[in-house]
Amino acid sequence: MEHQEYQERLALHALDALDAEEARALEDHLQACAQCRAELIELRDAAGLLAHASTPAAPGSEVRARILANSHAERQPASAAQVIAMPRRATKLWPNLIRLAAGVAFVALLVGVIVFWRRDVKSRQEIAQLSRQVNTQQHELVRDRDVLARQREALALLNSPNAKKMELTAGQTAQNARGTFVYDQKTGRAILMAEGLPATPADKAYELWFIPKGHSPMAGRMFTIDASGHAMLPEQMPAEAMENAVIAITLEPKKGSAVPTGAIYLTSPSS
Amino acid sequence: MPAEPAKIPDADLLHAIARNDEAALSACYDRYRLILFGLILRILHDREEAEDCLQEVFLQVWRRSRDFDESRGRAFTWLVTIARSRALDRLRASGSRLRLATEAAQVPRDEVGDAAEEAVQSEQGAVVRRALAELPEEQRRTLLLAYFEGLTQTEIAARLGDPLGTVKTRTRSGMMKLRELLQGKLRE
Ligand SMILES: [Zn+2]
Repeated sequence: MEHQEYQERLALHALDALDAEEARALEDHLQACAQCRAELIELRDAAGLLAHASTPAAPGSEVRARILANSHAERQPASAAQVIAMPRRATKLWPNLIRLAAGVAFVALLVGVIVFWRRDVKSRQEIAQLSRQVNTQQHELVRDRDVLARQREALALLNSPNAKKMELTAGQTAQNARGTFVYDQKTGRAILMAEGLPATPADKAYELWFIPKGHSPMAGRMFTIDASGHAMLPEQMPAEAMENAVIAITLEPKKGSAVPTGAIYLTSPSS
Repeated sequence: MPAEPAKIPDADLLHAIARNDEAALSACYDRYRLILFGLILRILHDREEAEDCLQEVFLQVWRRSRDFDESRGRAFTWLVTIARSRALDRLRASGSRLRLATEAAQVPRDEVGDAAEEAVQSEQGAVVRRALAELPEEQRRTLLLAYFEGLTQTEIAARLGDPLGTVKTRTRSGMMKLRELLQGKLRE
């Protein structure tokens, strides 16, 4: 095809309105044609002005606080934090190292949860207040790169249109414990956030379980808590557990159990 | 009206954000939240989702502002392109296309923004709306379908029941006319 024909497609490309095939061909041409590149820039600038055809509208005032809290959290330099590596488990299902976040990341994440599920929040002041709190804490505390990556991942997950949230409530063993388990119903990416769990003895750790309806419990990851009783743990849902599973957390020997043996600390409601 | 403070050009604002300048990010937010939120709301028709989307947009601005390159377009274009893409991604992902646009009408205004800047923006908005009004109805409709609904030429043809060739010609003529009408009018 000739330059002329490509040039005629630039206006459509500026609106991203070309069909995929044509767009690809044009992109190839753009690599080689400075004239088309220059014209596309002008057309994109013009297309961008179409944004002005919409009516300006004010977002809620807490959006600003959320943005600034998140951006502030992200720019913190990497440095030492309380991140604990757990030994690799024997089973191949859950091969990754388990690490725990510092308490501050938990708070930041909690803000994320609250913000993304605003239905749960009583007032907008509460969000603003939490955002400020995170901000302050982050000034004071150093962060770990891994924690930031975790938090970013969690926020992405929380933001997914397919995210589903389960509230975990305390079993008889730990009355103050509570938790939230969020997972992506398409990809199975998941995250567990828990607080109020008692400190674990040196030879024990918490273990996460998926109990699909009509299945025996499937082992998830092992974890311990940080000094403030918080845990934030990325997970991958087993396919069998994607629909209608109960999530439970028990205390198990540190090397992990194939079946739950210890007391239940947290559990999702059985459906 | 008080004397307008020297305005930092958009491009410099983005360069400052690229240097991790949080004040620049908040200035950028204050400057563009109305237009970007209006754009996102027009695409998503859902206030809560639009707010989440706006947050995502500014996080992307924060992370990616070093990708901004003045030689490849205006800063404004860079910002609205991110906002439009994120909103269209959500629209496609969530099917919120079907939701009603009722909330958009009752948007409360708050007073955080920069009044002088808002005046400039509404002036620019008026220029753009006037230019659009000069286009023939079919051209305008095609541009708006492509821009706010993210439809391709083929989808537009199907939607309007017009031949594909006609849609292509209209879109192209509409864009050319728009560029001509706006040229030189909206420099920073
Ligand atoms: Zn060319």
